[in-house]
Amino acid sequence: MSERILVWDWPTRVFHWSFALSFAGAYLTAESERYRDLHLALGYVFGALILFRLIWGVIGTRYARFSSFSFAPIAVLSYLKSLSQNQAQHFLGHNPAGAIAIFLLLGLGLLISLTGIALEWELGAEDWEELYEETHEWVANFMLLVVFVHIAGVLVSSWLHHENLARAMITGYKQGQASAAIQGRFLWLGVLILIGILVFLVMYLS
Amino acid sequence: MFKLKTLTQALACTLLLSAGWVQAETPQDFLSSYQAAAKAADTKFQGFSARRGEQFFKTTHGNDWSCASCHTSNPATVGKHASTDKAIDPLAPAANPKRFTNPRKVEKWFKRNCKDVLSRECTALEKGDILTFLMAIQ
Repeated sequence: MSERILVWDWPTRVFHWSFALSFAGAYLTAESERYRDLHLALGYVFGALILFRLIWGVIGTRYARFSSFSFAPIAVLSYLKSLSQNQAQHFLGHNPAGAIAIFLLLGLGLLISLTGIALEWELGAEDWEELYEETHEWVANFMLLVVFVHIAGVLVSSWLHHENLARAMITGYKQGQASAAIQGRFLWLGVLILIGILVFLVMYLS
Repeated sequence: MFKLKTLTQALACTLLLSAGWVQAETPQDFLSSYQAAAKAADTKFQGFSARRGEQFFKTTHGNDWSCASCHTSNPATVGKHASTDKAIDPLAPAANPKRFTNPRKVEKWFKRNCKDVLSRECTALEKGDILTFLMAIQ
């Protein structure tokens, strides 16, 4: 019997939306020196969130763990094929296409964070600055593209599964067997991350 | 270790050069291309002026910032970012030989910084005046 069960814990949801917002904010403040402080602050939040997610991917709740959505390439192809044939395979946690987006976005985000830090802290040889700068910008643009593909994928999957995936990432709930629900909500950790971000932003920008 | 570092840097530079990311040019090359562009834009173009460039550099253009807000009124010295206080290498080629050697970099930063100071891109005449001013600094 299918009922409303918790799938995404608080830290995973707080991470998802903070990650999205910090990326959007940093992207929008990249072109002007006037917003450089805000760009840097959002960049540090963005980088710290990635580090958190890498840890949470190992010790977090069931569907937040990398092991729960490390699919073989063949599984990804099979999922995409099932979508195109309108017989979408259903996954309670991340589907294989979403999993690709997660690994790609985390990897690209890590590259953006490292090159940004290298630029601002002037790490490495001076001649490498140009390479950092170009990589930072190119990868950020590529990541934006992946974000758009991810959003399109969420819309398509939501429609085919008759399941609002974006809402699930807000509320944490999906329809499923009671036995498949996660046990801990980790509200305290979600709140701690949010407070950490806000305190950091206020302190950095004042 | 030192040798390995030098070797790695040399390799990276070679790669960048061959990829066209770094094209070694001189400030004079930039001046020539701005001159050609300025002539094309205005047939009455009389040449660049260091004095005009200096004035342009040091005054605000409707916004709160001037070029000197970050690069200071003496571009031969280390500048300071107006919002982050980060040190900025000297802009005058005499004080920093790396300046005005890489077209990608020069055009990218002219575009960004002109937008911050003037809310528009700089004309070839303005760029030429600024560069003439910077090259006159010893």
